[in-house]
Amino acid sequence: MEKIISLKNVSKEFKVLNRREGLRGSFMDLFSRDYKIINAVNNISMEIEQGEIVGYLGPNGAGKSTTIKMMTGVLEPTSGDIIIDGRIPYKDRNKYAQNIGVVFGQRTQLWWALPAIESFKILKDMYQVKDKDYKDMMDLFSSTVDLDKLLHKPVRQMSLGQRTLSDILAAFLHNPKIVFLDEPTIGLDVAMKSKIRELIKTLNKEKNTTIILTTHDMGDVDALCRRIVIIDKGTILYDNDIEKIKSIFGNYRTLKVRLGKTSEELNEEAIKKEVEDMELKLKEVYPKAQTLHVSDVDEWINILVNEDEVEMIDVLNFIQRQRKIYDVRLEEISTESVIRKIYEGGLE
Amino acid sequence: MQKRGLLFYFNIYRKILAQDLKSKMSYRADFIISTIGMIFTNISGFISFWIIFKNFPSIKGWGYYEMLFLYGFSLIALTPVQCFFDNNWNLRNHVYSGDFIKYCFRPINIFFYYMSEVFDIKGLGQFVFGSLVLGYAWNNINLGISITIIIKLIISLITASLFMIAIMNLAASTCFWLLNSGYIMVMVFRFKDYAKYPATIFNSGFKFIFTFIIPIAFIAYYPSLVFLRPDDIPVLTWLSPLIGILFFYISYLVWMKGAKSYSGTGS
Repeated sequence: MEKIISLKNVSKEFKVLNRREGLRGSFMDLFSRDYKIINAVNNISMEIEQGEIVGYLGPNGAGKSTTIKMMTGVLEPTSGDIIIDGRIPYKDRNKYAQNIGVVFGQRTQLWWALPAIESFKILKDMYQVKDKDYKDMMDLFSSTVDLDKLLHKPVRQMSLGQRTLSDILAAFLHNPKIVFLDEPTIGLDVAMKSKIRELIKTLNKEKNTTIILTTHDMGDVDALCRRIVIIDKGTILYDNDIEKIKSIFGNYRTLKVRLGKTSEELNEEAIKKEVEDMELKLKEVYPKAQTLHVSDVDEWINILVNEDEVEMIDVLNFIQRQRKIYDVRLEEISTESVIRKIYEGGLE
Repeated sequence: MQKRGLLFYFNIYRKILAQDLKSKMSYRADFIISTIGMIFTNISGFISFWIIFKNFPSIKGWGYYEMLFLYGFSLIALTPVQCFFDNNWNLRNHVYSGDFIKYCFRPINIFFYYMSEVFDIKGLGQFVFGSLVLGYAWNNINLGISITIIIKLIISLITASLFMIAIMNLAASTCFWLLNSGYIMVMVFRFKDYAKYPATIFNSGFKFIFTFIIPIAFIAYYPSLVFLRPDDIPVLTWLSPLIGILFFYISYLVWMKGAKSYSGTGS
């Protein structure tokens, strides 16, 4: 497979003034030459193939935006090489822009006062899209989303969801090889989120577009990405399949039980007490299960079990002997928990 | 893939402009009120001018109609900056809010793309008003009409416009480097009001500033000498088309340099 994106030992430093406190300090800063260097991105390398969807994750301030800005050509790296689609992004930005699409969650790139269709027509000319390609693309769009309702409304009158949808369509309109999506589902309701994920998935499959997705929503990751890259403090913590990372943390699964029928029986206080109780008892009976963790979500009690330490069936048996169970579910460890563990330093 | 030449840009501009006008018309009240506002601005500007000249029939050897000539000339010369480059006024907001980044991902010239987004129709009214004033003054000074003089007029108007556009580009582009660049825009924009007076009425210090630092004297005074003082045209007037093009080009380069160094805000 062709490597469309390649980053080699890329670093980005920012020079920041060491600021002093107080009014006096601010005044002195006017004449200060006391800079410190901040490594926003520190020697990262990765390669991405044509057609991949890669989730680019990391806590706030980890260096995600900086990397994306370097990949889109807005920032020049301090050192290292970025080659994307055979070009160096920050050189000759106009030509590079022809082959990428960019969506920033809450910032629309469409003309505010115009209906989306008029924006699309201008973009068609701007990117010199052929009539036939344009028509094909519009046909593809309309097979996945309800275009008629969307296209004839001025962008300023759209809901956030409709706007994001139009922005994503606009980014794919010129059939770019790579699309950068920055928090595409931020602030959207559940239905809209899944609609947008479906759209991204379809476009990726039909056009074999490489997609770099940054997000804080693990739902996006679960729905779209097989591969994730996690960055924190400017360095890459993890770059591989999402399934593999789950196994790193042992054989975790979550047992969910419901210990009552009605809301009265399941009031918050009772559950909180139950949670504490259960963890103590379980750890007493199974001293090996040190990483076992009990928590509550809504009316459910979640027991995170490492099956290397204790069998799931034993835990269930134990609980059943103590209490009446009304409902049971078994879940794999969620991506959310995995990512949280990594952010908290679980890989070290 | 075709090369994106002049024709390409002209076509894109035409389409964006058509859409922009369409959408402006859809805000009907806004459109009517701003048109009325524009008419009143021009009329009140003219009245204050008229009152001054009822009291001082001439200033340093410049008579009423000659001053009117300068006034009309400057209004026309200021039309392009108003119509086509009005988005300079929003640049600061776009830069601080981080929205400017959206202009960085298009395969066309970023200066063009940015300016094409706003066409200020109010400038057209100014153009009509300026033309009437200039025509009236022209007639009363008995300048006559010939092909050479029309060509001269067009060249000097274009030159004068270039100066004003360049000044505004430079003033606007300061926001790429400075936090409080709003002042600079407003200050420079105020200075344009001096453009409609002959530079000789200022003392030599200001004359120097208005010629070489903030060259507003090129907006009406220097070019108008071609018509009003044809026997005594300074070298600067002859050079002004060249200087104008150069000045515009420099302002464009500075603007582009700012845009390229822009890296947005954190998200």
